[in-house]
Amino acid sequence: MYPFWEVPFFTSGLVIALVATFHILPCHLATGAFWFNVYVERKAFYEKRPELLEFLKKYSLLILIFCFVIGSLSGVGIWYAATVASPRGISALIHNYVWGWATEWVFFIIEIATIYVYYYTLGRIDEKSHLTLGWVYAWAAWISMIIITGILAFMLSSGKWVETGGFFDGFFNETYWPQLFTRTALMFGIAGAYAVIVASTLKNKEVRLELVRTASIWGIGGMVLGAIFTLWYLFKLPEHAKDLAFGGTLPYLKGMLYVAAICYGVVLLWFVIFGLIRPSLSRPVIGIIILFILFAGIGAGEGFREGARRPYIIDRYMYGNQIIANNIPAKNIKAEVPKFQKEGFWSNLYFKPDNLDLSKTKDRLLAGSVIVHHQCGNCHALDRLGKIRPLSLLLENLATESPGDVADFLDALGDYPYMPPFAGNDKDKEAAAEYLFSIVRR
Amino acid sequence: MDLSLYLNSMRDAAGLPFYPIVFQVLLVLTFALHIVMVNLVLGSSFLAVYEVSKKSEFGARLSKALGRVITVGLSIAIVLGVAPLLFVQVIYDPFWYTATSLSAFWALMFLVVITLAFYSSYGFYLGNKKSGPGEMKARWAYVAIFFLLLTALFIHMLSMEQLTPEKWKAWIISKEGFVSFSGGEFHSVSLGRLLHFIIPSFAVTGVYLMLYASYFSEREDYDSNYLDYVAKRGANLALWASVLTVASGFWWLGTIPKDFSFAQNPFFIIGAVLGIITTAYLGAAYLSPEKRAKNASILMFLTIFFMSCAREGLRMRYMNKVGYNIYNYPLNVDWPSTILFFATFIMGLFVLCFPAAAAFKAGKAPKGQIVTINPTIVRNSLYLMIAWFVVVAGLGLVISLKNGTLF
Repeated sequence: MYPFWEVPFFTSGLVIALVATFHILPCHLATGAFWFNVYVERKAFYEKRPELLEFLKKYSLLILIFCFVIGSLSGVGIWYAATVASPRGISALIHNYVWGWATEWVFFIIEIATIYVYYYTLGRIDEKSHLTLGWVYAWAAWISMIIITGILAFMLSSGKWVETGGFFDGFFNETYWPQLFTRTALMFGIAGAYAVIVASTLKNKEVRLELVRTASIWGIGGMVLGAIFTLWYLFKLPEHAKDLAFGGTLPYLKGMLYVAAICYGVVLLWFVIFGLIRPSLSRPVIGIIILFILFAGIGAGEGFREGARRPYIIDRYMYGNQIIANNIPAKNIKAEVPKFQKEGFWSNLYFKPDNLDLSKTKDRLLAGSVIVHHQCGNCHALDRLGKIRPLSLLLENLATESPGDVADFLDALGDYPYMPPFAGNDKDKEAAAEYLFSIVRR
Repeated sequence: MDLSLYLNSMRDAAGLPFYPIVFQVLLVLTFALHIVMVNLVLGSSFLAVYEVSKKSEFGARLSKALGRVITVGLSIAIVLGVAPLLFVQVIYDPFWYTATSLSAFWALMFLVVITLAFYSSYGFYLGNKKSGPGEMKARWAYVAIFFLLLTALFIHMLSMEQLTPEKWKAWIISKEGFVSFSGGEFHSVSLGRLLHFIIPSFAVTGVYLMLYASYFSEREDYDSNYLDYVAKRGANLALWASVLTVASGFWWLGTIPKDFSFAQNPFFIIGAVLGIITTAYLGAAYLSPEKRAKNASILMFLTIFFMSCAREGLRMRYMNKVGYNIYNYPLNVDWPSTILFFATFIMGLFVLCFPAAAAFKAGKAPKGQIVTINPTIVRNSLYLMIAWFVVVAGLGLVISLKNGTLF
């Protein structure tokens, strides 16, 4: 195992979640915005309405400054966050989908080349070529979504990949199409929201009202279609994910969906009232508040997706604690739990003190700390005052009265549908149980 | 468990989807492209501040032009950097993931400082757009330089930590047996190597200025005195920075373990010879920098490319020393995804002809003149994108129907 990185109180998993959620706003804007931009530019070009160009310049500059700073950096940020929080998880994805990511990178290059040339050549090259630049950007950006959705969906439902190990068998899995349609719809919703904000700042009143209304219609379309495709997405979830979410095993997942639905509902209402019915009331500041609500909705939706795939970080392949769950014969990959149960987890670690004597309690506690960090620390806070699924509190609620009680609990871990089994031998378990008992809140 | 066993056992269980040499070539090539842009951004930032301090008309104009280079260049550098970041994780995963986990805090701080560098550079560029000579403010450029240098330091440290695996354990395990999970390790900084990366920034920026002057020399609305000023500044900067780069290279060379015989590495020898030829050429180019700009840029890129190859050779030596060899990484060759990438890559080069042609022609035309782009290039680039979508979506539908994953 790689060295473990602990984030006090909150777990490293939350760091990825925050970066990933934040990334969605600029990246969905980057993918959706130019469809709207091209629509407006077509109007300006074919209807001979140069007054619309003010919007194009402002909107493009927003995309440049927001998407190609925050968007691209938070995209790299997800990689870094995943690297430090779940190195084996991101490694597994990269080694299966490196060519997918490399393909996406080609489209990133096309995106960045076209967006800058688009922005700086407005009014410098012929209108038709400029409009086509916009189209090329729009396609490149959406195709990058087409690619990354396959990799994200693979984590939730790995499809036939577990049997064949084939790139495309994992890519075009059960939740791929519904996720792609949902994300595509959502990108229009997000692009519409930003467009309303930018349009609200325009000086020309007539143009302002027209574009606020038009952008709202795009936004409403995106939100409504997004809701419909979300139902398809929920219907296509793997059975174990449905059990977790709707069978009462993890009720918080349903709560996440409600939060997402409420947030998106508020955004939809904003589009209808401040965009469609009374566009004159639209103000940038209200739009920015709406973005925060959208952020909360996205966070809840992503939280649902991550929670529904428990106990795996990659469906049926790798557990949340980065231990390989099942054999993948097509790739000559072997499950690691049986290995660790036979040989011991501790004996397979490199980053451990070499001189510990496990017959001594003090040394067992040190070893137990290392084992528990690796096997539990990705999802559970280990501090006494931890905030994310704190183990000290969970064990207190279980009324464990001795290390033996904790060891019994570790034995039963695999019976919980959302927990990986304990991957270690009796000595590992004894050390882990003693350490865990030492942090129980009393 | 010994270090070699650890490193080899941490290779990803899925193996590589194609031959390691291909990833290695892509890694070196994309790194060279990335580092050129990084150098340009860093050198331009310093030069922009210097030109502001001149308080002259030409200085202000050049400084504004560099402001745009910094913002655009940083975007491009980041996107180009994604590829080597990806490929290094594929073939050197045990080193990359271990070092980054050990220094997790700094790896995330890198994102913070580069974001601050980005917005500071925008602050400088947008804040001075309408300023005249003597009115320009350089404070945001100073902030940008500070954060860019911090970014360089963090990335340098993360790269260097990968080369010292024999020290990893001692960093996080105390004598008492406590294991640190803080992710706060900060080790292995090599000033010689860091300088050998920073100093070429000025040489690259100098050559860029020569190209800039050469490119705009056909524009009637550009003052020839200004372009002459830019070209001379570029040639001067490129020449002296090249000399200093060679000097810092020798310093760095002295810090490399002798038993690596790095000075005998063929890529290093080619790179060093090219570096000396480039320096001599820049000396000769001083009298007519605009005319020599293209050749100088080709020589400069070749030098950087071969030095990137030498850097990769050096990395292999460090890793061979601890029993790690990328060429025996287990394989699970996946042809369909490999074809997907290379076909897309070739398609991408064709598509990029369009924005490149548009930018090139628009930049050559005087202000107010609208240029027309060859409609075949325009049309084909869009058609290629749509064709890619049709092929992949069609493939996806067939596979989904075959696997029963669609409905």
